[in-house]
Formats: sequence, C-alpha cells, structure tokens
Amino acid sequence: MLKIFSIAAAAAVVAASSVSAEGFPERPINLIAPFNAGGGTDLLLRGLAPHFAEAIGSDAYVSNMAGGSGTVAASALQAQRPDGYQLAYMSVTVSTIQPQIKNVPYGIDSWTPICSIAASPTMLFVSGDSPYQNMDDVVAAVKAAPGELVYGSSGPGAITHLTMVSAFAGLGIIDDMKHLPFQGSGPAIKELTAGNIQFFGDTELLVERGDFRPLVVFNDARVENFPNVPTATEVGIEAPLNELYLWGGLFAPAGLEPEVTAKLEAACAAAVVSEGFQEFAANSGTVVNYRGAEEFNDFYRAQYDANAALIEAAGL
Amino acid sequence: MLSSLPEAVAILLSLEGLLVLVVGTILGIILGAMPGIGSTVAVAIVLPFTLTMSQAPAIILLLAVYAGSVYGGSIAAILINTPGTPQSAATCLDGYPMAQRGEAGLALGWATVASVIGGLVSAVVLIFAAPQLAAFALEFGPIETFALILLGMTCIVSVSTGSVVKGLMAGMIGIFLSTVGGDPILGEMRFTFGNWQLFAGFNLLAVVIGVFALSEVFMRASTKQSTVSELVSFNGIVLPSLSMWKGRFKNLAKSVAIGNVIGVLPGTGAATAAFVSYAEGRRSSPNGDGFGKGEPDGIVASEAANNAVTGGALVPTMALGIPGDAITAVMLATLTLHGITPGPKLVEDNPVLIATIFSGFFVINLLLLPLGMLLSRVAAPILRVREAFMMTAIVILCAVGIYFVRGNVFDLLVMGGAGFIGFLLRRQGFPMAPLVIGMVLGPTLELTLRQGLILTDGNFLAFFTGHPIALVLGITAVAALLLPVVRSLQKRGTA
Repeated sequence: MLKIFSIAAAAAVVAASSVSAEGFPERPINLIAPFNAGGGTDLLLRGLAPHFAEAIGSDAYVSNMAGGSGTVAASALQAQRPDGYQLAYMSVTVSTIQPQIKNVPYGIDSWTPICSIAASPTMLFVSGDSPYQNMDDVVAAVKAAPGELVYGSSGPGAITHLTMVSAFAGLGIIDDMKHLPFQGSGPAIKELTAGNIQFFGDTELLVERGDFRPLVVFNDARVENFPNVPTATEVGIEAPLNELYLWGGLFAPAGLEPEVTAKLEAACAAAVVSEGFQEFAANSGTVVNYRGAEEFNDFYRAQYDANAALIEAAGL
Repeated sequence: MLSSLPEAVAILLSLEGLLVLVVGTILGIILGAMPGIGSTVAVAIVLPFTLTMSQAPAIILLLAVYAGSVYGGSIAAILINTPGTPQSAATCLDGYPMAQRGEAGLALGWATVASVIGGLVSAVVLIFAAPQLAAFALEFGPIETFALILLGMTCIVSVSTGSVVKGLMAGMIGIFLSTVGGDPILGEMRFTFGNWQLFAGFNLLAVVIGVFALSEVFMRASTKQSTVSELVSFNGIVLPSLSMWKGRFKNLAKSVAIGNVIGVLPGTGAATAAFVSYAEGRRSSPNGDGFGKGEPDGIVASEAANNAVTGGALVPTMALGIPGDAITAVMLATLTLHGITPGPKLVEDNPVLIATIFSGFFVINLLLLPLGMLLSRVAAPILRVREAFMMTAIVILCAVGIYFVRGNVFDLLVMGGAGFIGFLLRRQGFPMAPLVIGMVLGPTLELTLRQGLILTDGNFLAFFTGHPIALVLGITAVAALLLPVVRSLQKRGTA
C-alpha cells in the first residue's frame, strides 16, 4: 500500500513538474543581485531585467541581497527549489573564488548555469606620475627594495586582489611586496593617487576614471582602447595566471529542468542582443560576452579549476 | 565653472528641474523619516527613475533625496526616539528628551535650522573650495583616518549618560558586534560559527533600529501607562527665535566645520561627524552640562554636522571621482550610465553639469526649510493616534524597512534580538548611543589600524612619529579623555 502510494506520489510530482515546465513562467522571475543597489552588478541587472522580461513573456524584477562578498545571496539561492523563478547574477569571484576560500554551503556542483552576460579582462595600473613605465621597471624596483612596494586590492579574494597576485606571482616577486586591502575599489584608487600604494588592478572602466597608466592586460590579445599595453603573456606571465576576466552570468540552483533552462537561456540571449541592452552596455562600459547554457557550464567549470591555482598563489 | 552659472540656473528653473528639486526633497524627507530606510536605501529607491532622465536632473534627484533623507532622519529621532538613519542617532539624545518635555516642535525647529545652515554652508564650500579640499582628502591616508576614528571613539565618554563605565561597556559590545563576519585583511570568517547568514556580519541598521526603536517599544510596553495618552504633543515645527540663538553661534559654526571636514574624508561619513560634533559640543558649549537632557545645542551639534557632511562627501566624488560613501558611489554609477566618466577631469569636461549639480545642491538645502515645515504639519495628526497604535506602527515600519534593505529574513531576527538585548541593557542603565558608536566606528578603526601596521611593518609608534596630522589627532584624543579626569581632580582639590 505504502509502495503504491509512494509511486503515485512520485508520478504526481513528475506530472506536476512537467506541467510547470510547459507553462513556465507562470509568475514573475526574481533576478537577485548579490550586492547593494546602485553597484555595478545591480545596475547591469536593472539594465537587463526589462528586456529579459519581454523575451520570456513574464515579469522579472531585481532584488538585492548584499553581504559577505556576494556569498550571502549565493548561499541563500542554493537552498531554494530549482524552479527557475529565482536566478542570481554571479561573478567569477562569487561562483568560483569564494567557495574555494570560504566555508560556504555551495560549491562547483550547486548550480545550473543559464548564460554568461559580461566579461572584461583586468589590467594592472599605476598612477600617472609613477616612475614605472613597464613591468620590467616594476620587477627591477621590487628586487632593488624588497618588502617596500605596496599593491592594493578592493578586498581579500576580490578580482582586484587576484589581478595583483596573477601579475606578481606570475613574475615571481610577490613575496617581496606588501598587500594592502581596502573596502571597495574607490578607497584603493584614492590611495593610488595619494601614493600610499603603488599598484592596483581592475577592469578597463576603472582605468579610465583617473590619471592612471596601465602596464599589463590579462587578456589573450591586446585591447582596442590601449593598443600599447602588452598582454600578460607578452611580459612573461605564464598560464594559468596570464588571463583573468571579471565575468558574470545568470545561475539557477542545480537540478533545473532542461526545458526551463532552455527557455531561460533563450530569453537571456534575446535580452542580451536587444537594442535597449546594447545601448545600456555601451553607456555603462559593460563588455557583453554571451555564452549559452552548455558553453557557459563548461567555461564556468574550467574557470573553477583554473582559479584554484590563483587562490594558492594568493595564499588565501 | 562659475561662468556656467547662468546656464545652470536655466536648467534648474525649467519644469523638469523644479519638479525634480521639489519632489526629490519631499521624497527624501519622507524616506529618511521612516525608520530603517536610511539614506542609502532612499537613494537606491529612486535610482531606477533616473535612468530615463537627462544628466543633470538625474543627479539632482539623487542629491535631493540624499540631503532630504539626512534631514528627515532627525524627525523620527526627535518625535519617536527612533533614528531613521544611524547618522541621526546623536539627535535622539537631546531631541527626544525635549519632545518628552512637550517641546517637540521647538526641537524640530532647532534641527531644521541647524540642518539647513549645515547644508547651505557645505554647498558654498563645495562650490568654492572643492579642489583644495580634495587635495586635503588625499593627505588623509589609512594612518590619519585611524587617528581620526580614535578621536571619534572618545565620544563614547561624552554620550554616556548616567554611567561612563556602562557606556564604555556598551561601546565594547558595539565594537565586538562589528568584528563578526569577514576579516577585512585576510578574508577569513570570524565568530560566524559556520553560519553563512553571519558572513556579512550583523547589519548595522538592524542593530541600530533594534536597540533604539524596538527597545523603546518594549520599554513602553513594560511600564504601565494610560492607553489613550498621546506619544508627544506636536503641532508642527516651531522655529527658534533669534534671541534663543544667543550664545549658540559658536557651537553651530564648529559643528558645521566638523561636518564639512569629516564629510570630505572618504570612508568616515555622517554618523561619525554627528558623534564627533556632539562630543565637541558637549565639551565646549556653555550649555554642555545639559547635554543628554534635552539641550538644543546637542541637537544643533548633531544636525548641523550630519547635513554638512552631504556637501563634503561630494568633494572627493566630484573632484577626484572617488566616492566618499555608498550614496555618492551610487551617484558616480549614475553618471557613468549617462555616459560621463567620473574622475579628476569631470569638472573641467562638464562645467555646465557640475555648476547645475552644485547650485542645485544649494537650492535643495534652501528647500529643506519650507518643505520640512510643510511636511511636519501634514505629519502632525499621525502622531496623535493612540500610543498602542503608534508603537505597533513603529514595529511594522521598522520591520518592513529592515527587510527591504537586503531582502534577508535573518536581518529581522537580528533586529528583534538587538531590540530585546537593548531593552535588557537599558533597564540596567546602559546607554545605547555608545553601542552604536562602537559598531559604526569599529570596522574603520580595525581596518585602518591594520592597514597602518602593514604600511609601517608593525611599528605602531611610527603612526605618530611619521604622520603629523595623526599626531595632532592622537594628542587631541588623549586630551579629550584626560581633561574631564583632570578637571574633576582639580575640583576635588579646591573643595
């Protein structure tokens, strides 16, 4: 009796879920920004949400759940039912770095990647009045005065920190330098201008914010706006430290039904190419980089493993 | 920039300009007065609307909401002893006792005039001295900021009404609460017991609302009172007459200056300014002995300083492209979305825009006075409802506000817990303002101390030998602690 009941229950569950996949979406979709309102992630999601909603034929709203470098929102999401109504925009750090340095309740297998949306290579830069013209100058200066020069970051484990680690561990001089973490890129840039730190790294968007001189870009090729800045490979930084991207995309909890994934993926693709989002991206300096669910899943997993090397080099 | 002023005024006087100025300021005051919303959230609420506006009105709207909310915070602080924002926590200390005496309208009058003057002066400073002040901000590295925060910490003594020892203990509790969560230098988790909800630490706003507003509700519920009594008698703002200002100008001027200077320094903020100014006011004001018992100078010190911060915070934002706090960071993001690159060349490249923003900011502060008076008149009947209803409304407003900020149920638990513990502590005579100071200043104190130790290779003495600004601030901090002791010893000697 019990057996029959459980089979019937299982059948009912299957039936119910297949119905929900077919009729998806029946209610508004929550796009979670794991950071505060007004930050880069929040704005990107708010730029995307109306176009995403239009494409999926339902409402989509942005909610903010900040804290713990994005881990609070990710931890909350992994405990949710994988029904496709809760998606988070997670960056490289939230999805691949934080779970390897913190004891969070999620890991590599906790997600159904939907699509990647943006990716920007990071750059290492110095203040405009800095004596260092290239990385050779930097290596020579560090070797001449070990333990003197300071690099900043927007926080331990942040993409800004990993940029510095990639550069200086890749050139073998990181042990002779000091790391000064700040809370956010703003204060770090102020200290770079004031001269309390000598090096900082972030995306192209931040380099253009002030009188800064980029020395190296962590991309597979030189970037259009800075044709004179060499790639990490060119200055002698070897894989896997030679490429570093601040990327992000939409994730759902693991176990999402393939039909729902496909619908969300298609909506994401349509939203990303929409005229409105493209205009938003151009204004906000967002480097659009779309990948579909399958491709994004491979990319995400490869990044997860590649970043393990970075984390070890950073001593995190 | 000044040559662009006529064009700027034309933009402000356009229909869109006027609408944004008035609506933004009203919205800001209302949102700031709602417990738990706070300036950051208030600005975030209107952010989506700015995306479809043109450049100048978008920023003006954000500024109006920002300045309005900082002022609005004082309304709830005075009328219901609930700081709408952490920066108006110091306003509660004298504002609420005045309201309890039946002088709520006058208390708000002091707060309004002080806010307006603080904001106006900071607008003028912003217009004429932004580049110079920005250069000054660059002089303030981690070590100088550490010394300033150290000085700020000495405020714990001056806001400890009743018992200094209990105040210090409350301050330590606040500092301890602020250490929960990620280590700012190493990134490791502290005191979270493996619970990911604590990865972000305790939400400051949830704790502030808990220990001030919720504990107040518990206090009232636990004491027997007639159920029909009105909370406070309030019929709108009563502006203090000129003769009442006699002997208070020095306090006002000092508070405005403190707010301006602290506002310019990134990473400190309005709450720090309000507390430092309050402490300085108590030390130097001829009415200092009345602080904490409903002394107008206390309200003036807190409100003039926290509103002066708004202009100050715009200095590094506009002159250097470095946001002074979370709110100015939102403004920079908005500029970026409108295709403007914030940075050192912002003023040079966009003279009309900047002139519009700066002169708009001046107008917003002028508007605070009439709009504040108007809104308080509208709000007065709301306060006449029965206390039981009022208290229920406060609890609901607080809960909605706190949940809204981060969408996290855990924050509600934190608020409830803080309310209950705050209630127990207050019954034992522990003042709550020191706890808030500890929690506000604790993280910056720790971060800058450890940054400084990295820079000096662990040599704490080098903080003061190599940094004259830090030395002066450090000596002032020590003097602020020792002077009362010396004075009381002197008194004992002569007696």
